[in-house]
Amino acid sequence: MEAIARLVAAEATPAELKNNAAAASAGYAYGLAAIGPGIGIGYLVGKSVEAMARQPEAAGMVRTTMFLGIAFTEALALIGFVVFILLKFA
Amino acid sequence: MIALEFPEINSILVWKDIFPNFPFNKVALIAVLATLISATIFLLAVRQSHKEAPKGIRNFAEMIVEFVEDGIVMQTMGKDGLAWTPFLLTMFMFIYLCNVPGIIPFFQMPATARMAVPMFLALMVWVIYNVTGIKHQGVGGYLKSTLFPPGVPKALYILVTPIEFISAIIVRPFSLAVRLFANMMAGHILLVTFALLSEALFQAKDKVLIPVGILPFLMLVFLTSFEVLVAFLQAYIFAMLTAVYIGGATHPEH
Amino acid sequence: MPTAIVTQSNGRLVHVRLVSEDTTDTTMPEEAMLETTVLEDGVTGGEATPAQLKSAAGEAQVTVKAAPNPIAPTPKEALWSAGSFLVLFVILRYFLFPKLKKGMDARYADIRSDIEGADTVKADAQSAVADYEKALAAIRVEASGRIDAARQTVDTERNAQLAQVNARIAAARAEADQQTAAARAAAQGQVAAAVAQVATKAAQLASGRAPDAAVVQAAVTAAMESAGSR
Repeated sequence: MEAIARLVAAEATPAELKNNAAAASAGYAYGLAAIGPGIGIGYLVGKSVEAMARQPEAAGMVRTTMFLGIAFTEALALIGFVVFILLKFA
Repeated sequence: MIALEFPEINSILVWKDIFPNFPFNKVALIAVLATLISATIFLLAVRQSHKEAPKGIRNFAEMIVEFVEDGIVMQTMGKDGLAWTPFLLTMFMFIYLCNVPGIIPFFQMPATARMAVPMFLALMVWVIYNVTGIKHQGVGGYLKSTLFPPGVPKALYILVTPIEFISAIIVRPFSLAVRLFANMMAGHILLVTFALLSEALFQAKDKVLIPVGILPFLMLVFLTSFEVLVAFLQAYIFAMLTAVYIGGATHPEH
Repeated sequence: MPTAIVTQSNGRLVHVRLVSEDTTDTTMPEEAMLETTVLEDGVTGGEATPAQLKSAAGEAQVTVKAAPNPIAPTPKEALWSAGSFLVLFVILRYFLFPKLKKGMDARYADIRSDIEGADTVKADAQSAVADYEKALAAIRVEASGRIDAARQTVDTERNAQLAQVNARIAAARAEADQQTAAARAAAQGQVAAAVAQVATKAAQLASGRAPDAAVVQAAVTAAMESAGSR
């Protein structure tokens, strides 16, 4: 790895180096940003399904609240995606 | 093997003007069409008789109205919020019709995948819920109920107030815009990726690779149907969050 | 003096446009980018540097311009979408939605009044049925009363006639009994007289003297009574 890095450093201009670093960190940024919301949404939907199964008459209310919760949780992953785009392309 | 290079990102997101020297591109066209289509649906619906059981387009329009009333307004704002139905209806229709061209052939571009559209909508919502809050509770009352939520121990206000301030002033419009924008742009990029991949595989020089192209193509079909759902869900969530924010500004106790 | 407008993304050359006049006005960024792309000879994407370009374009002044940020909002699109949204909102809020809503409300009111009308009709019908049943019950009571009365009349008449007939029968029977008793008494008297005569005679013959008539009479009566009772 280090050898490759040194090779790249030897070959690449500073601008290219920066771009490579940005591209790599863009991948990490999105990957890391997706972990938390992934767990969160899974937990949230699972609990909502449990609630709906236990009390089918409250299903409408639970569903609305579930979508709201998903929207808030998902925002974190989406901000990660935006950071990815910013790092990679901007 | 094949070498596949993703096209320059701006070539799938930034569109040139349709007419030379007139600032009107595909995204603007989609926005204008969204207005025209919704207006036409409701115009045709209104022109039908309301006496007998609704049929066809009137039934469709009434279904949308009832969806917005029962699914968005009543669930979040209650009976007092029914005055906001036309606004939320406009919002829902406009966002949905801006999302859905992402999967319509020849458009293949959700207008909301350009930051301009969600940003405008989110800023508008931000202005509206702040103005509504000030109108209903006065400047002092609104600031008090927003920054100092009741039922919190006094000592915690040092922590809660800055968080609430950032949440209400910055995070809300930002996350509202980014949620819609990033969802639609991610969907758009995914569709482009799998379309390019299946095209490259179908046209590969190595004949063995041609049948493999069916896999990304199936994924493309699946993603397209998934985007139908996302287009609806994002419009629904945007309208619902708008209703929640406005409802919260009107009745701070909720 | 021609100007070369170079569009760059990620440090790579994307598009180059040569503009004849010395204008720094680039209008919309993507317009420049999507203009017919002409890459200078010997200049390939990724390798071009402004210096190379300068040499290729001779005296040309080189302006290097970054590619538009893919997530930056463009004023043009924001304005068009804002305009469309506001127009749609005004149309819906002030013209179409109130009309549609009025139609819906009117129909719902119609349906509600229809349901209420149906309810009143149903109530009317139910009260009519109740009236009818009441009348029917009254008539039934009356009819059964009349039947009872008729039955009573018939019964009393029958009883009266029966009593009459029974009385007549009893009278006839009593007369017959009387006659029979009279006949029996007459016959008994004759028999007793004959028996007494015979007994007197027999006693006279046996004892030689005439018995007392009263004693004979008593003995005969006792014997006859014991015979009659046997």
